[in-house]
Amino acid sequence: MNQRENFQVMLDGGKPEFIPSYVELYNLGLMGTNNTDMPWQGGVDPFGVNWIATKEGTIPEPNKFLFDDIADWEKYVHFPDIDTLGIEHVAQIELPNFNREEQIVNVFSVCGLFERLAAFMGFENALCSLIEDPESCQEFFEAFADYKIACHNRFIDVYQPDVITYFDDLATANGLFMSPTVYRNVIKPSHKRIVEAVTSRGVIFAQHTCGKCQEIIEDYVELGARIWNAAQISNDLEGILEKYKGRLIVEGGWDTSGPVSYINASTEAVIAEAERCAKEYGQKGNYIFTPVLINENGNSLIVGDPRLAPMAEAWHKIDKL
Amino acid sequence: MSKMEEVKAMLEAGKAKLVPGLVQEALDEGNDAQSILKAMIESMGVVGDKFSAGEVFIPEMLMAAKGMAKGVVVLKPLLAGGSTAYLGTCIIGTVEGDLHDIGKNLVAMMIESAGFEVVDLGVDVSAAKFIEAIKANNNVTLVALSGLLTTTMPALKTSVEAIKASGLTGFKVIVGGAPITPEFAATTGADGFAPDAGSAAVKAAELVG
Repeated sequence: MNQRENFQVMLDGGKPEFIPSYVELYNLGLMGTNNTDMPWQGGVDPFGVNWIATKEGTIPEPNKFLFDDIADWEKYVHFPDIDTLGIEHVAQIELPNFNREEQIVNVFSVCGLFERLAAFMGFENALCSLIEDPESCQEFFEAFADYKIACHNRFIDVYQPDVITYFDDLATANGLFMSPTVYRNVIKPSHKRIVEAVTSRGVIFAQHTCGKCQEIIEDYVELGARIWNAAQISNDLEGILEKYKGRLIVEGGWDTSGPVSYINASTEAVIAEAERCAKEYGQKGNYIFTPVLINENGNSLIVGDPRLAPMAEAWHKIDKL
Repeated sequence: MSKMEEVKAMLEAGKAKLVPGLVQEALDEGNDAQSILKAMIESMGVVGDKFSAGEVFIPEMLMAAKGMAKGVVVLKPLLAGGSTAYLGTCIIGTVEGDLHDIGKNLVAMMIESAGFEVVDLGVDVSAAKFIEAIKANNNVTLVALSGLLTTTMPALKTSVEAIKASGLTGFKVIVGGAPITPEFAATTGADGFAPDAGSAAVKAAELVG
């Protein structure tokens, strides 16, 4: 089986021939979202928010907010015209690199509903707004969902992806930023529309949420997400893999905060972590191995790292199923 | 319910806008500013414990901290001359190379609510800047360093080492951040570690008390 055929078996809840590694399974389309939501190298996005590139990712410039009071959002938020964002142009750069016969085309859509609210008004203001003025938050989320849906439709038109990975980090290492009730009442209705718009076009919806978010995994599955990305070990991954087999593929499992992700972690430690992932999660059959090696220049998948090749070699030798 | 009890209840419920009015009413009822402040600090301890236990979430804790700050504004003129409930000055910042501030901001609010005067140096703070701030402020009893990224963990260690080697005394150093474990914290030479904002405030008071 090639990566594509094997992936389909996993989606259908069958027993795959092998447990895929993220880097081998996907062709990633990253540049569309660079224009619509967050400049990967830093700079001003189409809403006027300035982003700063750090070694571990790009973040909105700290303490520089578009507005403080969510009731004012309509005065400050001006939605760009999708036609002016150059999505077709950047897609032309990425599309020739894709191998659709054997791999899965996965297009990123970063900065989801909550992340965008935080990008506009800072985490503290955004979080307080969710409980101080949920009505204005809901209005904002509805409007922003329209924008995301328009972006996703354009991504689907130009990239023809198998998967769209939608990023919205709603959790810390210890638990959700907000209560599940607040998520369900204030964010989920608009989130639902975003998922439906993707799946109604026959594209698989992958939900990215870092941190301990297991309390709302059931919500994600109910909404129609088929993949949960960046699943971190603070969650009960083995229980989730067991419970949702055939409904949700878990991507992640790497100890992103532990010693193996410190910048001086040894090649042996990295291989041992790959072995742990294989042993603890691989046998469940609905798991995609997603290594996250961090070095002094950032994420190794982007900046390269001599530990990657020996780890990949070891991964292929491990009995995973 | 007495006005003092109402202040505590509304603070714990995160009704930030109602707190200053109730604090004024509690004063009008004859309670002294010191007792009201003490009661509010106790309530923030309750909120911090609930947060650590997963019973309340960050928005509720933020709203309680907002209420505390608004209440203290009412009390401040009456606390002139030094309040025994205050625990000294805390210098706080995110270490060099790290721009993330949500954890640091939460800890700053909770530490302030526990009775510290907080001097927030912001993000990407060098060891030299921490040392300058310790020298420039009176009665520094606590220095709190935050780091979110695994790539900036070494900066946490070098900053603590530089602060400790500066020859300055009279304060304790506390560290924290998502990837920071008690084991790593111990290697930095810090006096204390806390896994979240609620317990950071408790640990801070314990270290200084």
